[in-house]
Amino acid sequence: MSAMLRAENLHHRVATSEGPLTLLNNISLQLARGESLAITGASGSGKSTLLGLLAGLDKPSDGRIWLAGEEITALDEEQRAALRARCVGFVFQTFQLLPGLTAQENVMLPSELRGERGAARRAEEFLARVGLGHRLHHYPRQLSGGEQQRVAIARAFASFAGDDGILFADEPTGSLDAGNGDKVIDLLFKLNAESNTTLVLVTHEQRLAERCGAHLRMAAGSIEAGDSGSALAEVSA
Amino acid sequence: MLPLKLLFRDWRGGELALIATALVLAVTCVTAIAHFTDRLARAMEQQSLTFLAAERVLRSSRPVDPAWLQEARDRGLLQAEAVQFASMVAAGDQFQFAAVKAVGAGYPLLGELEMRDTEEGPSHRVKQGPAPGETWVEPRLLPLLQLQLGESLQLGDTSLRISGLLEREPDRGTSFFDMGARVLVHLDDLPASGVIQPGSRVRYRYLFAGDDEALDRYFEWLKPQLTEHQRVIDLKEGQPRVARALERAESFLFLAGSLAVLLASVAVGLAARRYSLRHTAYVAVMKSLGAGRDKVLAIYLGQLAALTLIATAAGLLLGSLIQSQAVNLMADFFPAQPPPSHWSPLIVGLATGFDCALGFAVAPLFRLARTDPMQTLRRDWSNPDRREWLGLVLGPTSMLLLIWWLSGSLAITAALFAGMALLVGGAALVNRLLVRGRLASIGGAWRIALGSLQRRAAFNTLLIAAFGTGLLAMLALVFARTALIDEWRMQLPDKAPNHFLMNIAPHEVDGLDQMLFDKGVASTEIYPMVRGRLVAINGVPAKEYEKSAGGERVGALRRELNLSWTENLAPDNRILEGDWWDKTDEGVSVEVELAARLKLALGDVLRFSIGGLEVEAPVASFRSLDWNSMRPNFYMLFAPGTLEDFPATYITSFYLPPQQKLLVNDLVRNFPSVSVIELDKIIQRIRDTIDQVSLAIESVMALMLVAGVLVLVAGVRASIAERLQEAAIIRTLGGRRRLLLQSLLLEFGLLGIAAGLLAAAGAEATLAVLSQRVFELPFMFHPLLWLLGPIVGALLVGSAGTLACRSSVSQPPLKVLRELA
Repeated sequence: MSAMLRAENLHHRVATSEGPLTLLNNISLQLARGESLAITGASGSGKSTLLGLLAGLDKPSDGRIWLAGEEITALDEEQRAALRARCVGFVFQTFQLLPGLTAQENVMLPSELRGERGAARRAEEFLARVGLGHRLHHYPRQLSGGEQQRVAIARAFASFAGDDGILFADEPTGSLDAGNGDKVIDLLFKLNAESNTTLVLVTHEQRLAERCGAHLRMAAGSIEAGDSGSALAEVSA
Repeated sequence: MLPLKLLFRDWRGGELALIATALVLAVTCVTAIAHFTDRLARAMEQQSLTFLAAERVLRSSRPVDPAWLQEARDRGLLQAEAVQFASMVAAGDQFQFAAVKAVGAGYPLLGELEMRDTEEGPSHRVKQGPAPGETWVEPRLLPLLQLQLGESLQLGDTSLRISGLLEREPDRGTSFFDMGARVLVHLDDLPASGVIQPGSRVRYRYLFAGDDEALDRYFEWLKPQLTEHQRVIDLKEGQPRVARALERAESFLFLAGSLAVLLASVAVGLAARRYSLRHTAYVAVMKSLGAGRDKVLAIYLGQLAALTLIATAAGLLLGSLIQSQAVNLMADFFPAQPPPSHWSPLIVGLATGFDCALGFAVAPLFRLARTDPMQTLRRDWSNPDRREWLGLVLGPTSMLLLIWWLSGSLAITAALFAGMALLVGGAALVNRLLVRGRLASIGGAWRIALGSLQRRAAFNTLLIAAFGTGLLAMLALVFARTALIDEWRMQLPDKAPNHFLMNIAPHEVDGLDQMLFDKGVASTEIYPMVRGRLVAINGVPAKEYEKSAGGERVGALRRELNLSWTENLAPDNRILEGDWWDKTDEGVSVEVELAARLKLALGDVLRFSIGGLEVEAPVASFRSLDWNSMRPNFYMLFAPGTLEDFPATYITSFYLPPQQKLLVNDLVRNFPSVSVIELDKIIQRIRDTIDQVSLAIESVMALMLVAGVLVLVAGVRASIAERLQEAAIIRTLGGRRRLLLQSLLLEFGLLGIAAGLLAAAGAEATLAVLSQRVFELPFMFHPLLWLLGPIVGALLVGSAGTLACRSSVSQPPLKVLRELA
């Protein structure tokens, strides 16, 4: 199985008024196409920072990352953005829907940013798949939290231009009640399995982490424990 | 297409409304003012040109070559002719000295004559003079000649029927040719009258009007051919006082336009900043979804361009509508039929729209494009990029360039820059002082208000500067307008002398003085006058002196001067250097500007030639005076006793109210040799023009005040969102609505006081530069400004802020928190 995501010896430091602060310390991991990884850890353990680096939102201070076969640490910001536009989808804790756009327009946005035709039809399809085919023209403020997160999931899956999709989810149930959270997670895993996409998710919930093929627990910027399940080929600390 | 789609979607969401409103407001204000000032300036110019009855006048003491006039007609110019001279007119055995003016077809080219065709009826305006064989005379001539309207008077060998009473002519002047009652005749009657003989003192006025460029080209062609007896007169030369008033009015209107740009820019800047802050989350999400910086920039710049185009178009339309309504409403006050709108104000509006957008909205968008996509994960929407240098440089630079272009005046631009720099520097300083207040000992609303000010220290600097700019514009404008209009009114006070009496013989002085006293007319001092020529300075003949002193041509060396003496310094005269006659008893006091042109020093000896005799006198003092005071004034005032042996005539001036006008007839009858110069009609016309200009200035100022208030509203709106969340939290924790309203009032009130104080300082600096460099008025300190600034600031900003936030404070806190989440 070829690696969809690979990180080698990641270090990340930021400058603060009290001197440099290490956020990540020597992290390596590998994930094959279609597999899923849960990153857990206490607040401030560095899991969201790691997610951002793996998705190419920022560059690590040291180390290398490959995403869909490309070394993103060797790319500049524009090239990384282009890669994200092709094969990265995001689901955020606070949904991050654009309030001025309807549900359909929010889902159309990734296709439009790629300059694709048929964005509206594609958005309609994805919204139907998440059970919101009847709420295409509703604005985020007119939707419940669970519905907003379903729109965000539809948008994430609409982000993939081809088969090489990788979905990054940052505490996707963090803003939802237990019932809605379960529904959203079921949907996320269902679509992930249907589309054969790779999934990396940050969560506090043990229950959710257990549904992933691999599990990585972080503490103080380092990997505290790695579950070398089927998906995790290599975890080193 | 994507930017347009997003613009459309965003618009629906209401996010772009504020920036669009600010742009529309900017363009509307500037377009309306530019249109209005353009039309008003052109109307006023037209009106002023009627003082000449033409756009240019060629004045000559002899008839000019008819080929010159033919050339003008060939070039498509309008041309008319007037011949002026003094002559006796008669009726039976009554004779009267009159100022005759013979006018041909087409006279007046600009302006109108005002006449009556019955003795009691209303006057009306006409665009041509009397027909051949007829004459129109000034009403006061009828009793002098014991004539009625419809009867005839004799001008030389010809008899002319009096068919009208002349109330006003546009180009009535104050020269020798205008002394005495006016008799207006047709040019065709002149040859038959035989009054013009070789050697007669006659003034020929050739009037021209037409396209500016054609006029310029014609006079370029004509000027080299003119002799020293011929002169071209345009508005500036014809009516320097009106020209100056117009120039100042124009400067003022441009200042108002510039301030509109300034205010609008601030409004756009505030709106754009808010827009950029609110879109940080958008951009972070878009970047996570794969939009690079260039793409984000392209999307937002595309949106801004489209928005600017739409808003500018709307502003141009609105501005044009507003000005046409304003012009219609003010039609009665316009000096003449307002000229149609020109296209140039549209360019000004267009440039303003794009300048405001580029200068003030582009920098926040560049910052927006640099948003870090990691913020989506950190859920932190503050904009960490503090590099605001682009905005700080681009905004003010583009604004100042636009103001420079609009006003065409470096002085106005510099004045505003000085005011603004003072304001922004002061805002930072005041803000530091404000946030250092100790909170521990105060409670309630004060604590919340000061706490809020401290937390938003950086933004408050911007807000104080913005509010301060609005207040600065309003204060500077109100005070500049007051100074300007007061100065005009002071120049021509209500009872300024409006008649001059010249050529009073020494034996007539007492009798004339008594007559004026008996009639209750207060005259200025009666001055003796001896005519003499300045022939040498320190023994050097005048012409050689002129060359050695730098070669500047000084008119005073080429003609006879009116020389006088007096013991009392007139109220409008002031000794600047040297001594007056209470400290020395010999010499001559010289008017300071002439002294400067002649490069004179105290003690220089001036030699005058008076009636073939020569007199020498050392320069005893330099003296300033006010030529506008309408009192007799002299370049040279001698020590009493120096000139008393020379034959002198006397001169004085006095104010005659309109109802006592016939006193002029009594004067002419009792003192036939005295020349009466009647300035009352000219003064009235100048006063009318100044009143119209003042009204225009006040109207423009009202528009500006509206713009200023709108900036305040934009500033308040820009800061509302940041306050709402806090208010909702305080309410959730049990804070009462009244407490919140009090704290808001205090917070905005304190900001208003700070802004008002700074605005007063900025306005004082601006006024100082403006009065000296633009309006050429003396510098004045304005204590009222310092009092009004903070009070108006606290009231306006305090009430605007509280009102804007009031409804939100009343909403259920949960709703506010949900909407802001």
